[in-house]
Amino acid sequence: MQTPSPGHPIVVQLLEAPFQPLELLAVWQRSLGPAATAAESHFIGRVRPTTATGAPLETLELEHYPGMSEAQLRALAETCATRHGAGAVLVAHRVGRIGPGEAIVLVAVQADRRGPALRCVQELLEDLKHHAPFWKREWSGGSGTWVAGNTPL
Amino acid sequence: MAAPSPDLAAAVRVRLFAALRERAGWGERLVPLEASLTSAADLWHRLALDDGPVADAGVLSPSIRVAINQAFAAPDTPLRPGDEVAFLPPITGG
Repeated sequence: MQTPSPGHPIVVQLLEAPFQPLELLAVWQRSLGPAATAAESHFIGRVRPTTATGAPLETLELEHYPGMSEAQLRALAETCATRHGAGAVLVAHRVGRIGPGEAIVLVAVQADRRGPALRCVQELLEDLKHHAPFWKREWSGGSGTWVAGNTPL
Repeated sequence: MAAPSPDLAAAVRVRLFAALRERAGWGERLVPLEASLTSAADLWHRLALDDGPVADAGVLSPSIRVAINQAFAAPDTPLRPGDEVAFLPPITGG
């Protein structure tokens, strides 16, 4: 796992292959050393089995803007952690072709209280859904459709 | 005033993504800067990136975001030679 940045230790990973969120979490926790914080909040997002119109989904394709996507995830995490007084942050996001049921995003935040940990996870998730350069295309019946917008909260 | 040079140093790199890239049929090209082309909004107009003939043809839609050198920027930000200018359709991450 990469060395966290100074200030808030922030780890950003873009993953081209399927990943196990709990295994990634365990690696991240070990990388932070033995002194665990009092509060830690997690969100795991997985690919739905159906498209926006209800058809069976074959594959979700995730395009991104290499370079800007990593930088933007890091900036959003830094801003969110600062706003909430949170500590370490992990953001992992799949790119490429992702199967139904596979994990697509993992956000984890450590803090000294449950409030900052929970709020930072939720805000960072919303921030990255709207402000990090990722685009979804749903493949169904052999044709691909770019997703027009995010699902409701 | 000298004519704009077509060399790479006087050009910007334009990048398109996702639905925008497929609609335009290209993802990346170099465009020389010149007197009438100084911002991302100018580029949008010049490259005819609109979705079909509409009343406000050539005007950059608010749903399209601009990034300059991989950071969000206002469409009227003055461009400098060597800039990378990207047009980003509505984001759907997470």
